[in-house]
Amino acid sequence: MDGKREAIVREIPGLRRYARALLRDADAADDLVQDCLERAFSRLENWQTGTSPRRWLFTLMHNLFVDGVRARKRRSELASAAAADIPQAVSAPEQNGVLDLHDVLDALQEVSPDRRAALLLVGVEGMSYAEAADVLGVPTGTLMSRVARGRQDLREVLDLVRRRRILKAVQ
Amino acid sequence: MTGRSFDERDIHLALDGELPREDMPAYEAWLETRADMRALSARYESDRALLRDALAELTSENLPPRLQEGMIGNERAAKGGHALVLRRLGAVAALCLIAGAAFGFWAGRQQFVTGETLAALDVVGEAVAAHQVYAAEKLHVVEVGASERSHLVGWLSNRVGTKLIAPDLRADGFDLMGGRLLPSGGKAAAQFMYEDQAGERISLYVAHCIKGEDTGFRLFEDEGRRAFYWQEKGFAYTVAGSIDENRLLQLANVTYRQLLAGR
Repeated sequence: MDGKREAIVREIPGLRRYARALLRDADAADDLVQDCLERAFSRLENWQTGTSPRRWLFTLMHNLFVDGVRARKRRSELASAAAADIPQAVSAPEQNGVLDLHDVLDALQEVSPDRRAALLLVGVEGMSYAEAADVLGVPTGTLMSRVARGRQDLREVLDLVRRRRILKAVQ
Repeated sequence: MTGRSFDERDIHLALDGELPREDMPAYEAWLETRADMRALSARYESDRALLRDALAELTSENLPPRLQEGMIGNERAAKGGHALVLRRLGAVAALCLIAGAAFGFWAGRQQFVTGETLAALDVVGEAVAAHQVYAAEKLHVVEVGASERSHLVGWLSNRVGTKLIAPDLRADGFDLMGGRLLPSGGKAAAQFMYEDQAGERISLYVAHCIKGEDTGFRLFEDEGRRAFYWQEKGFAYTVAGSIDENRLLQLANVTYRQLLAGR
Protein backbone atom coordinates (compact mmCIF):
# COMPACT_ATOMS: atom_id res chain seq x y z
CA MET A 1 0.00 0.00 0.00
CA ASP A 2 2.86 2.38 0.82
CA GLY A 3 4.35 1.72 -2.61
CA LYS A 4 1.10 2.82 -4.19
CA ARG A 5 1.00 5.90 -2.03
CA GLU A 6 4.51 6.89 -3.00
CA ALA A 7 3.83 6.28 -6.67
CA ILE A 8 0.81 8.56 -6.48
CA VAL A 9 2.62 11.26 -4.55
CA ARG A 10 5.31 11.30 -7.24
CA GLU A 11 2.66 12.32 -9.77
CA ILE A 12 1.47 15.32 -7.76
CA PRO A 13 3.74 17.91 -9.42
CA GLY A 14 2.57 16.83 -12.86
CA LEU A 15 -1.06 16.84 -11.78
CA ARG A 16 -0.69 20.33 -10.36
CA ARG A 17 0.95 21.59 -13.51
CA TYR A 18 -1.83 20.16 -15.65
CA ALA A 19 -4.54 21.49 -13.35
CA ARG A 20 -3.02 24.95 -13.21
CA ALA A 21 -2.74 25.14 -16.97
CA LEU A 22 -6.30 23.93 -17.35
CA LEU A 23 -7.81 26.31 -14.82
CA ARG A 24 -5.30 29.16 -14.55
CA ASP A 25 -6.49 30.00 -11.04
CA ALA A 26 -3.98 28.52 -8.57
CA ASP A 27 -6.50 27.93 -5.86
CA ALA A 28 -9.05 26.23 -8.09
CA ALA A 29 -6.26 24.12 -9.56
CA ASP A 30 -5.11 22.87 -6.18
CA ASP A 31 -8.74 22.13 -5.31
CA LEU A 32 -8.92 19.95 -8.37
CA VAL A 33 -5.68 18.14 -7.49
CA GLN A 34 -6.88 17.61 -3.95
CA ASP A 35 -10.20 16.20 -5.15
CA CYS A 36 -8.32 13.94 -7.51
CA LEU A 37 -6.05 12.64 -4.75
CA GLU A 38 -8.98 12.03 -2.45
CA ARG A 39 -10.68 10.02 -5.13
CA ALA A 40 -7.49 8.14 -5.91
CA PHE A 41 -6.89 7.15 -2.31
CA SER A 42 -10.48 6.06 -1.88
CA ARG A 43 -10.22 3.82 -4.93
CA LEU A 44 -6.74 2.42 -4.60
CA GLU A 45 -8.04 -1.05 -5.36
CA ASN A 46 -8.90 0.11 -8.90
CA TRP A 47 -5.28 0.60 -9.66
CA GLN A 48 -2.94 -2.33 -10.27
CA THR A 49 0.62 -1.94 -9.03
CA GLY A 50 3.12 -2.41 -11.79
CA THR A 51 1.28 -0.10 -14.17
CA SER A 52 1.96 3.62 -14.14
CA PRO A 53 -0.43 5.53 -11.92
CA ARG A 54 -0.03 8.43 -14.28
CA ARG A 55 -2.70 7.57 -16.80
CA TRP A 56 -5.08 6.48 -14.07
CA LEU A 57 -4.63 9.70 -12.09
CA PHE A 58 -4.91 11.96 -15.11
CA THR A 59 -8.10 10.17 -16.11
CA LEU A 60 -9.55 10.65 -12.64
CA MET A 61 -8.62 14.28 -12.71
CA HIS A 62 -9.95 14.81 -16.18
CA ASN A 63 -13.33 13.40 -15.15
CA LEU A 64 -13.41 15.71 -12.14
CA PHE A 65 -12.46 18.61 -14.37
CA VAL A 66 -15.31 17.87 -16.76
CA ASP A 67 -17.76 17.44 -13.86
CA GLY A 68 -16.76 20.72 -12.33
CA VAL A 69 -15.97 22.75 -15.39
CA ARG A 70 -19.00 24.98 -15.15
CA ALA A 71 -18.83 25.62 -11.43
CA ARG A 72 -15.13 26.28 -11.56
CA LYS A 73 -15.54 28.57 -14.52
CA ARG A 74 -17.88 30.72 -12.50
CA ARG A 75 -15.51 30.70 -9.58
CA SER A 76 -12.47 31.70 -11.59
CA GLU A 77 -14.43 34.43 -13.33
CA LEU A 78 -15.27 35.85 -9.93
CA ALA A 79 -11.62 35.66 -8.96
CA SER A 80 -10.62 37.47 -12.14
CA ALA A 81 -13.22 40.15 -11.59
CA ALA A 82 -12.02 40.66 -8.03
CA ALA A 83 -8.44 40.71 -9.23
CA ALA A 84 -9.27 43.38 -11.77
CA ASP A 85 -10.27 45.65 -8.90
CA ILE A 86 -6.84 45.59 -7.30
CA PRO A 87 -4.34 46.56 -9.97
CA GLN A 88 -2.03 48.04 -7.33
CA ALA A 89 -1.17 44.51 -6.23
CA VAL A 90 0.49 43.71 -9.52
CA SER A 91 4.05 42.46 -9.55
CA ALA A 92 6.28 42.72 -12.57
CA PRO A 93 6.24 39.51 -14.58
CA GLU A 94 9.39 38.08 -16.11
CA GLN A 95 9.65 38.76 -19.79
CA ASN A 96 10.40 36.11 -22.35
CA GLY A 97 10.85 37.63 -25.76
CA VAL A 98 7.79 39.48 -26.80
CA LEU A 99 5.33 37.75 -24.50
CA ASP A 100 5.72 37.05 -20.85
CA LEU A 101 5.18 33.63 -19.39
CA HIS A 102 1.89 34.53 -17.80
CA ASP A 103 0.47 35.81 -21.07
CA VAL A 104 0.66 32.33 -22.49
CA LEU A 105 -1.30 30.82 -19.61
CA ASP A 106 -3.92 33.51 -20.00
CA ALA A 107 -4.05 32.91 -23.72
CA LEU A 108 -4.56 29.21 -23.12
CA GLN A 109 -7.77 30.00 -21.27
CA GLU A 110 -9.20 31.32 -24.52
CA VAL A 111 -8.83 27.86 -26.06
CA SER A 112 -11.85 25.59 -25.49
CA PRO A 113 -11.45 23.15 -22.56
CA ASP A 114 -11.43 20.07 -24.84
CA ARG A 115 -8.67 21.39 -27.03
CA ARG A 116 -6.79 22.87 -24.09
CA ALA A 117 -6.71 19.50 -22.32
CA ALA A 118 -5.53 17.69 -25.45
CA LEU A 119 -2.83 20.24 -26.11
CA LEU A 120 -1.54 20.07 -22.53
CA LEU A 121 -1.46 16.30 -22.22
CA VAL A 122 0.46 15.91 -25.45
CA GLY A 123 2.48 19.12 -25.63
CA VAL A 124 3.40 19.59 -21.98
CA GLU A 125 2.90 16.26 -20.23
CA GLY A 126 4.46 14.43 -23.16
CA MET A 127 1.78 11.79 -23.59
CA SER A 128 1.37 9.91 -26.84
CA TYR A 129 -1.82 10.44 -28.81
CA ALA A 130 -3.03 7.01 -27.69
CA GLU A 131 -2.37 7.76 -24.00
CA ALA A 132 -3.97 11.18 -24.14
CA ALA A 133 -6.97 9.82 -26.05
CA ASP A 134 -7.38 7.21 -23.35
CA VAL A 135 -7.23 9.80 -20.56
CA LEU A 136 -9.78 12.01 -22.30
CA GLY A 137 -11.97 9.08 -23.32
CA VAL A 138 -12.06 9.96 -27.02
CA PRO A 139 -10.89 8.17 -30.20
CA THR A 140 -7.33 8.88 -31.30
CA GLY A 141 -8.53 10.69 -34.42
CA THR A 142 -10.55 13.09 -32.28
CA LEU A 143 -7.58 13.66 -30.03
CA MET A 144 -5.36 14.44 -33.03
CA SER A 145 -7.72 17.04 -34.36
CA ARG A 146 -8.11 18.60 -30.91
CA VAL A 147 -4.36 18.94 -30.57
CA ALA A 148 -4.07 20.51 -34.02
CA ARG A 149 -6.96 22.90 -33.49
CA GLY A 150 -5.82 23.73 -29.98
CA ARG A 151 -2.44 24.77 -31.38
CA GLN A 152 -4.06 26.89 -34.06
CA ASP A 153 -6.32 28.55 -31.51
CA LEU A 154 -3.47 29.26 -29.15
CA ARG A 155 -1.42 30.75 -31.96
CA GLU A 156 -4.27 33.05 -32.92
CA VAL A 157 -4.84 34.20 -29.36
CA LEU A 158 -1.12 34.82 -28.85
CA ASP A 159 -1.01 36.86 -32.04
CA LEU A 160 -3.86 38.95 -30.73
CA VAL A 161 -2.11 39.44 -27.41
CA ARG A 162 1.08 40.38 -29.21
CA ARG A 163 -0.75 42.96 -31.24
CA ARG A 164 -2.49 44.47 -28.29
CA ARG A 165 0.23 43.80 -25.90
CA ILE A 166 -0.57 44.56 -22.36
CA LEU A 167 2.61 44.81 -20.45
CA LYS A 168 1.43 45.35 -16.95
CA ALA A 169 -0.13 47.79 -14.62
CA VAL A 170 2.21 49.29 -12.10
CA GLN A 171 1.69 49.85 -8.42
CA MET B 1 11.01 6.43 -50.06
CA THR B 2 7.48 6.03 -48.90
CA GLY B 3 6.17 8.26 -51.66
CA ARG B 4 3.51 9.66 -49.36
CA SER B 5 2.62 13.32 -49.52
CA PHE B 6 2.62 15.59 -46.52
CA ASP B 7 0.43 18.40 -45.30
CA GLU B 8 -0.07 20.65 -42.32
CA ARG B 9 -1.35 17.75 -40.24
CA ASP B 10 2.07 16.14 -40.40
CA ILE B 11 3.58 19.13 -38.67
CA HIS B 12 1.59 18.24 -35.58
CA LEU B 13 2.48 14.56 -35.88
CA ALA B 14 6.17 15.35 -36.21
CA LEU B 15 6.09 17.77 -33.30
CA ASP B 16 4.36 15.23 -31.09
CA GLY B 17 6.64 12.35 -32.02
CA GLU B 18 3.80 10.56 -33.79
CA LEU B 19 5.26 10.56 -37.27
CA PRO B 20 6.64 7.08 -38.12
CA ARG B 21 10.42 7.13 -38.05
CA GLU B 22 10.67 5.89 -41.64
CA ASP B 23 8.66 8.90 -42.82
CA MET B 24 10.95 11.44 -41.14
CA PRO B 25 13.51 11.88 -43.97
CA ALA B 26 10.77 12.43 -46.54
CA TYR B 27 8.97 14.77 -44.16
CA GLU B 28 12.10 16.81 -43.57
CA ALA B 29 12.78 16.97 -47.29
CA TRP B 30 9.22 18.21 -47.82
CA LEU B 31 9.65 20.81 -45.08
CA GLU B 32 12.80 22.06 -46.81
CA THR B 33 10.75 22.92 -49.88
CA ARG B 34 7.98 24.66 -47.96
CA ALA B 35 8.99 27.86 -46.22
CA ASP B 36 5.43 28.46 -45.01
CA MET B 37 5.21 25.07 -43.36
CA ARG B 38 8.67 25.46 -41.90
CA ALA B 39 7.61 28.75 -40.33
CA LEU B 40 4.45 27.17 -38.98
CA SER B 41 6.37 24.29 -37.49
CA ALA B 42 8.85 26.65 -35.84
CA ARG B 43 6.01 28.75 -34.54
CA TYR B 44 4.22 25.82 -32.93
CA GLU B 45 7.46 24.69 -31.42
CA SER B 46 8.14 28.09 -29.89
CA ASP B 47 4.58 28.37 -28.55
CA ARG B 48 5.05 25.00 -26.93
CA ALA B 49 8.36 26.08 -25.41
CA LEU B 50 6.66 29.18 -24.01
CA LEU B 51 3.95 27.05 -22.48
CA ARG B 52 6.43 24.61 -20.98
CA ASP B 53 8.51 27.43 -19.55
CA ALA B 54 5.46 29.04 -18.01
CA LEU B 55 4.54 25.79 -16.32
CA ALA B 56 8.06 24.79 -15.34
CA GLU B 57 8.02 27.50 -12.68
CA LEU B 58 5.18 25.72 -11.01
CA THR B 59 6.90 22.35 -10.93
CA SER B 60 9.72 23.85 -8.92
CA GLU B 61 7.36 25.31 -6.33
CA ASN B 62 6.97 23.55 -3.02
CA LEU B 63 3.75 21.68 -2.56
CA PRO B 64 1.18 23.55 -0.53
CA PRO B 65 0.62 21.90 2.87
CA ARG B 66 -2.78 20.54 1.93
CA LEU B 67 -1.27 18.53 -0.90
CA GLN B 68 1.59 17.13 1.10
CA GLU B 69 1.56 13.47 1.87
CA GLY B 70 0.66 13.75 5.53
CA MET B 71 -2.41 15.76 4.70
CA ILE B 72 -3.84 13.29 2.25
CA GLY B 73 -6.51 11.32 3.98
CA ASN B 74 -7.43 14.30 6.17
CA GLU B 75 -8.60 16.25 3.19
CA ARG B 76 -12.17 16.76 4.29
CA ALA B 77 -11.09 18.43 7.52
CA ALA B 78 -8.41 20.44 5.80
CA LYS B 79 -10.81 21.80 3.23
CA GLY B 80 -13.09 23.59 5.68
CA GLY B 81 -12.78 26.46 8.12
CA HIS B 82 -9.51 28.23 8.63
CA ALA B 83 -7.76 26.08 6.04
CA LEU B 84 -9.80 27.91 3.46
CA VAL B 85 -8.56 31.25 4.76
CA LEU B 86 -4.97 30.04 4.72
CA ARG B 87 -5.45 28.80 1.22
CA ARG B 88 -6.76 32.16 0.16
CA LEU B 89 -3.71 33.80 1.70
CA GLY B 90 -1.46 31.30 0.01
CA ALA B 91 -3.01 32.19 -3.29
CA VAL B 92 -2.28 35.89 -2.94
CA ALA B 93 0.90 35.75 -4.97
CA ALA B 94 -0.82 33.93 -7.78
CA LEU B 95 -3.74 36.29 -7.54
CA CYS B 96 -1.40 39.23 -7.92
CA LEU B 97 -0.16 37.80 -11.17
CA ILE B 98 -3.67 37.06 -12.30
CA ALA B 99 -4.59 40.60 -11.32
CA GLY B 100 -2.02 41.97 -13.69
CA ALA B 101 -3.10 39.79 -16.53
CA ALA B 102 -6.80 40.13 -15.87
CA PHE B 103 -6.58 43.87 -15.44
CA GLY B 104 -4.45 44.11 -18.51
CA PHE B 105 -6.94 42.18 -20.57
CA TRP B 106 -9.79 44.11 -19.07
CA ALA B 107 -8.13 47.45 -19.61
CA GLY B 108 -7.10 46.51 -23.12
CA ARG B 109 -10.61 45.59 -24.02
CA GLN B 110 -12.22 48.62 -22.41
CA GLN B 111 -10.43 50.76 -24.91
CA PHE B 112 -12.27 49.16 -27.77
CA VAL B 113 -15.55 48.53 -26.05
CA THR B 114 -16.37 51.70 -24.19
CA GLY B 115 -13.53 54.09 -24.94
CA GLU B 116 -11.90 55.67 -21.94
CA THR B 117 -11.73 58.86 -19.94
CA LEU B 118 -11.45 61.82 -22.23
CA ALA B 119 -8.70 63.31 -20.18
CA ALA B 120 -6.28 60.48 -20.87
CA LEU B 121 -7.17 60.35 -24.53
CA ASP B 122 -6.90 64.13 -24.75
CA VAL B 123 -3.33 63.88 -23.57
CA VAL B 124 -2.56 61.22 -26.14
CA GLY B 125 -4.17 63.37 -28.81
CA GLU B 126 -1.93 66.25 -27.75
CA ALA B 127 1.10 64.02 -27.78
CA VAL B 128 0.37 62.78 -31.28
CA ALA B 129 -0.36 66.29 -32.51
CA ALA B 130 2.84 67.62 -30.92
CA HIS B 131 4.76 64.80 -32.54
CA GLN B 132 3.32 65.61 -35.92
CA VAL B 133 4.17 69.29 -35.63
CA TYR B 134 7.72 68.99 -34.32
CA ALA B 135 8.83 65.79 -36.03
CA ALA B 136 8.14 67.52 -39.34
CA GLU B 137 10.28 70.49 -38.31
CA LYS B 138 13.60 70.84 -40.10
CA LEU B 139 15.43 73.59 -38.23
CA HIS B 140 13.83 73.78 -34.82
CA VAL B 141 12.89 70.27 -33.91
CA VAL B 142 13.89 70.77 -30.29
CA GLU B 143 14.22 73.63 -27.88
CA VAL B 144 17.19 72.21 -25.99
CA GLY B 145 19.53 69.84 -27.82
CA ALA B 146 20.92 66.50 -26.73
CA SER B 147 24.32 68.13 -26.12
CA GLU B 148 22.77 69.61 -22.98
CA ARG B 149 21.14 66.39 -21.93
CA SER B 150 21.38 66.77 -18.16
CA HIS B 151 20.21 70.36 -18.26
CA LEU B 152 17.31 69.32 -20.51
CA VAL B 153 16.22 66.50 -18.24
CA GLY B 154 16.54 68.57 -15.05
CA TRP B 155 14.66 71.49 -16.54
CA LEU B 156 11.78 69.40 -17.90
CA SER B 157 11.56 67.39 -14.68
CA ASN B 158 11.22 70.59 -12.67
CA ARG B 159 8.67 72.14 -14.94
CA VAL B 160 6.52 69.05 -15.37
CA GLY B 161 6.80 68.13 -11.71
CA THR B 162 7.97 64.54 -11.89
CA LYS B 163 11.38 62.94 -12.18
CA LEU B 164 11.97 62.36 -15.86
CA ILE B 165 14.74 60.73 -17.77
CA ALA B 166 15.54 60.92 -21.46
CA PRO B 167 15.53 57.23 -22.35
CA ASP B 168 18.57 55.86 -24.14
CA LEU B 169 17.19 54.25 -27.29
CA ARG B 170 20.48 53.82 -29.12
CA ALA B 171 20.31 50.04 -28.88
CA ASP B 172 17.17 50.29 -31.00
CA GLY B 173 18.74 52.71 -33.45
CA PHE B 174 17.30 55.99 -32.18
CA ASP B 175 19.43 58.92 -31.00
CA LEU B 176 18.17 61.65 -28.72
CA MET B 177 17.82 64.96 -30.55
CA GLY B 178 16.68 66.93 -27.53
CA GLY B 179 13.40 68.09 -26.07
CA ARG B 180 10.99 70.89 -25.45
CA LEU B 181 8.48 72.22 -22.98
CA LEU B 182 4.87 72.34 -24.11
CA PRO B 183 1.61 73.54 -22.59
CA SER B 184 -0.91 70.86 -21.70
CA GLY B 185 -4.27 71.86 -20.30
CA GLY B 186 -2.83 74.68 -18.18
CA LYS B 187 0.13 72.63 -17.00
CA ALA B 188 3.52 71.81 -18.45
CA ALA B 189 4.32 68.81 -20.61
CA ALA B 190 7.65 67.47 -21.84
CA GLN B 191 8.58 66.10 -25.21
CA PHE B 192 11.79 64.21 -26.00
CA MET B 193 12.50 63.74 -29.71
CA TYR B 194 14.54 60.89 -31.24
CA GLU B 195 15.75 60.14 -34.73
CA ASP B 196 17.17 57.06 -36.44
CA GLN B 197 19.65 56.77 -39.31
CA ALA B 198 16.85 56.80 -41.87
CA GLY B 199 15.51 60.07 -40.48
CA GLU B 200 12.45 58.49 -38.86
CA ARG B 201 11.43 60.31 -35.71
CA ILE B 202 9.66 59.23 -32.60
CA SER B 203 8.92 61.17 -29.45
CA LEU B 204 8.18 60.57 -25.80
CA TYR B 205 5.59 62.91 -24.39
CA VAL B 206 4.88 63.18 -20.67
CA ALA B 207 1.96 65.18 -19.29
CA HIS B 208 -0.41 65.34 -16.37
CA CYS B 209 -3.71 63.56 -16.77
CA ILE B 210 -6.72 62.96 -14.58
CA LYS B 211 -5.59 60.53 -11.98
CA GLY B 212 -7.13 57.14 -12.69
CA GLU B 213 -6.10 53.58 -12.52
CA ASP B 214 -2.60 52.90 -13.78
CA THR B 215 -2.67 51.00 -17.02
CA GLY B 216 -0.54 48.79 -19.19
CA PHE B 217 0.32 49.74 -22.73
CA ARG B 218 -2.44 50.83 -25.03
CA LEU B 219 -2.30 51.53 -28.70
CA PHE B 220 -3.64 54.74 -30.19
CA GLU B 221 -4.13 54.76 -33.94
CA ASP B 222 -5.64 57.47 -36.04
CA GLU B 223 -5.16 57.81 -39.79
CA GLY B 224 -1.65 56.42 -39.82
CA ARG B 225 -0.64 58.29 -36.71
CA ARG B 226 0.29 55.87 -34.01
CA ALA B 227 1.26 55.91 -30.37
CA PHE B 228 1.63 53.59 -27.42
CA TYR B 229 0.73 55.11 -24.12
CA TRP B 230 0.28 54.25 -20.49
CA GLN B 231 -0.89 56.00 -17.40
CA GLU B 232 0.82 56.06 -14.06
CA LYS B 233 0.28 58.07 -10.91
CA GLY B 234 -1.51 60.92 -12.63
CA PHE B 235 0.83 61.14 -15.60
CA ALA B 236 0.27 59.94 -19.13
CA TYR B 237 3.30 58.72 -21.08
CA THR B 238 3.06 58.53 -24.84
CA VAL B 239 5.55 57.19 -27.36
CA ALA B 240 4.45 58.48 -30.76
CA GLY B 241 5.74 57.92 -34.25
CA SER B 242 4.73 56.78 -37.71
CA ILE B 243 7.02 53.76 -37.72
CA ASP B 244 6.04 50.10 -37.77
CA GLU B 245 3.81 49.11 -34.87
CA ASN B 246 6.11 46.39 -33.55
CA ARG B 247 9.10 48.66 -33.64
CA LEU B 248 7.21 51.41 -31.88
CA LEU B 249 6.04 48.93 -29.25
CA GLN B 250 9.62 47.81 -28.68
CA LEU B 251 10.68 51.44 -28.17
CA ALA B 252 7.77 52.06 -25.82
CA ASN B 253 8.76 48.98 -23.90
CA VAL B 254 12.36 50.11 -23.50
CA THR B 255 11.23 53.61 -22.56
CA TYR B 256 8.88 52.25 -19.96
CA ARG B 257 11.59 50.12 -18.40
CA GLN B 258 14.10 52.93 -18.29
CA LEU B 259 11.61 55.31 -16.74
CA LEU B 260 10.78 52.70 -14.14
CA ALA B 261 14.43 51.99 -13.40
CA GLY B 262 15.37 55.68 -13.33
CA ARG B 263 12.85 56.53 -10.69
